[in-house]
Amino acid sequence: MSGMFGRLYRGETTFNFVGRRWWGFGISLAFVVVTFISLFAQGLNLGIDFKGGVAWEVPATTITVEDVRAILEANKIPTADAKIQVLNGADGKRIRAQVGEISTSTRTVVQTALSAKAQVDVQEVSVASVSSSWGRSITEKAVRALLIFFVIVSMYIAWRFEWKMAIAAILAMVHDVLISVGVYATFGFSVTPATVIAFLTILGFSLYDTIVVFDKVHENTTRYSASKVSYGDIINVSMNQVLMRSINTSLAAVLPVLSLLVLGSWVMGAIALQEFALALLVGLLLGAYSSIYIATPLLAVFKGRELKFRTLQGSLRLGEEMARLGATSKKVVTRTPGDGASATSTQSDIERETVLASSALSHPPRPRKNRRR
Amino acid sequence: MARRLYLSLLGIVVLVGSLLAGNLLAGNVPSLGLDLQGGASVTLQPEGDFTPSALAQAVDIISQRVNALGVSEPEITRQGNNVVVNLPGVNDQQKALDIIGRQGELLLRPVLQAGTLNTDTATSIPGTDTTIAGSKTSVVDTTIAATEGGPGSVRSRGAATTIPASTDTTVPASSDSTVPAVATTAPAANISVSEDTTDPNVNAVLLGQNGEAYLVGPAGATGKVFTNNAQAVINNGNWTVTVELRKGADGADLWNALTTKCFNRDATCPTARIAIALDGTVISAPTVREAVFTGGNVQISGDFSQSEARDLAKILEFGAVPVKFKVATVQTVSPTLGKDSLRAAIISGLIGVLLVMAFFFVYYRMLTIVVVGGLMVSSALLWSIIALISRSNGLALTLSGVAGIIVSIGVTVDSYVVFFERIKDELHAGKSLRSSAQRSFTLAWRTILAADTVSFLGALVLWWLTVGSVRGFAFFLGLSTLCDVIVAYFFTRPAVLLLARSKFLSGRKVLGVALPESSAQ
Repeated sequence: MSGMFGRLYRGETTFNFVGRRWWGFGISLAFVVVTFISLFAQGLNLGIDFKGGVAWEVPATTITVEDVRAILEANKIPTADAKIQVLNGADGKRIRAQVGEISTSTRTVVQTALSAKAQVDVQEVSVASVSSSWGRSITEKAVRALLIFFVIVSMYIAWRFEWKMAIAAILAMVHDVLISVGVYATFGFSVTPATVIAFLTILGFSLYDTIVVFDKVHENTTRYSASKVSYGDIINVSMNQVLMRSINTSLAAVLPVLSLLVLGSWVMGAIALQEFALALLVGLLLGAYSSIYIATPLLAVFKGRELKFRTLQGSLRLGEEMARLGATSKKVVTRTPGDGASATSTQSDIERETVLASSALSHPPRPRKNRRR
Repeated sequence: MARRLYLSLLGIVVLVGSLLAGNLLAGNVPSLGLDLQGGASVTLQPEGDFTPSALAQAVDIISQRVNALGVSEPEITRQGNNVVVNLPGVNDQQKALDIIGRQGELLLRPVLQAGTLNTDTATSIPGTDTTIAGSKTSVVDTTIAATEGGPGSVRSRGAATTIPASTDTTVPASSDSTVPAVATTAPAANISVSEDTTDPNVNAVLLGQNGEAYLVGPAGATGKVFTNNAQAVINNGNWTVTVELRKGADGADLWNALTTKCFNRDATCPTARIAIALDGTVISAPTVREAVFTGGNVQISGDFSQSEARDLAKILEFGAVPVKFKVATVQTVSPTLGKDSLRAAIISGLIGVLLVMAFFFVYYRMLTIVVVGGLMVSSALLWSIIALISRSNGLALTLSGVAGIIVSIGVTVDSYVVFFERIKDELHAGKSLRSSAQRSFTLAWRTILAADTVSFLGALVLWWLTVGSVRGFAFFLGLSTLCDVIVAYFFTRPAVLLLARSKFLSGRKVLGVALPESSAQ
């Protein structure tokens, strides 16, 4: 295994994340601006669970669910999120069709069409306005809970790591949700309770991902605390070390979602899966992106101003030098070759020892002059 | 060391296996939501006077009542003034009515006399001069006291009024028919007694849950004096129920007027007891220990069992719906999406998970065995819990719920990735698999725990403070996070450590590093 993938695999890549942080910030800022513009220009397309709408009930004499759907479509009412159900009670079978808010004239037109199709009097087809099932109190409680959640999580991160990490993590989370909402506003996708749940899932994933990256940064900070290494370097080294893990986790999370979207909703025709899978896909990609390009570089900006790191600011070790920094911290283990079998692998052993080494995390870095070249 | 690892591995597999088998034998399967399976639809029509805000509050209370755990995802809408409650997975119309509950007017009525019913259909209702005894055999031994800590609240240690139960207390099978007879003969004074047990303005004889009979006066207050936050807690080793009073004329003032009367053994409340009656049945009849509840907290104690205390708390919490409803229609509803969508979700989701496994196999090679095993254990665990809660708390999986679970499988593999990447680092440094596995787990465990704690905290806060589908989401997030931690510690750790010790992996390529033929012992 060699070349680019090999180095990626061994965590020896030398991408300069911190140096290119303004790229990430710039792109994200552009997206956030687009989000706000489309939010104010056209707003979110809220589904019937949020806005309520109209419901007809017709006795199910000869009329079927398909007939009702056809009538709705003939009147140019979108049926993608319409709820058409068969009710079975003491007074016989009825079909209930619930759609979003429409004009009074269309209500009457549909009512007449339904009664004609079912061959009953117009009076027997009821029309009623329906409130949202997702009431205002649900939204209010959820928003309040989210705010409290942010506070508690910040406190936890501040206690477990440090408060600057808490701010960076929360900002990255807000960034993810903002842009996901922006995608919905820009393309006018219908927002349903499932979408909200998907956004919350994204929040959770993004936060989880960020914590894993921060854990590495935190660990490396302690490791380099004795030496003169800038915070940007620490972050660059940490990011390159966890890059493969980030890619793997994101792939593992995205694959089922992609399968739901492509196979489930497009090939097998379960349209209802589409919006949920879409929201998740957008969010998962954003979550992976933001922990690398937003949360960690933000942390570099915050921490770079600290007294300890200020003097070192601006001096980033790149390329070979970064690789060496990552490697010097690894303890060089000279394994006494066992009998027979391992003798053949001495050549690769030597190579390995020179280039890298173990992550002997509890050990202080070896002095650079002792490095074997 | 190895023995403990085997034990842990075996323990979790056996535990999860028996959970799964138990659920399968009991016939518990996850029930499906309104969109996939349909359910029952109940239309409630408000009666009498009500304000829009009271109606909105009533809808809130009903939705909390049918969705206390937050996992059943009912659909509650208002059509005009009617409230339509769609319950998923309920095909029995009577069951739907049971879930929504009786109309639930909670009345607090002073007890004039109390006694028990026995086989002779003659009742032994003690006279107004109650015996003071510490008898443990008393039927109802409950008291009300202000909770400690409230300003100026002194728990008075007055003698408890208890009613000695005749030892041969049995409840006649047809207790209903005997009640009027009791009512007309028992009281010494001529007290007019109404047969309508729910009319708050007249005296009535009410039955308790265990065969006690109470002669109660006109209601002094309704359940509205309490806020909706009753809790069952353990206090001094006993289950007690605490509830807060609403402030103002409709709350604390009304309550205190009633308790003052009872505490002073006024003519309207000679027994000093207050019956908490829901729809004409006395749920509890505690003795008042305090004249005025200045602290705003009410504590009801007695020899409750845990479930009795919980029930009482639930009734105090949800019992008082501010609007009275009558059931207009009960119907079953068909699913809006149907099973085709479910099949599509499951098939495509499983293909997705298979793809993940294939990718893992290419990348982590033999260690993928552990991932597959771990996923099987956690899926079985998750499935068992979902099936169990489907039965007990009306959990119903919607299409997005199913999709969410499939996605969560993809996300949980992260703990494996974190762990394996650590091992990889150590292996590249030339350590043996055996020594690196142990050390890597210790390090990875810290990371996993930190990340999972954050997820779990989030789930807890969201579950605690929200309602509806957000609460359902929080429940599943918390559940899958817990599963992740459990599986990581009790399955993945011993599995990897044991694999690292065994000869199985020696001579194979693990994580891109060729292991020597004989693994270092």
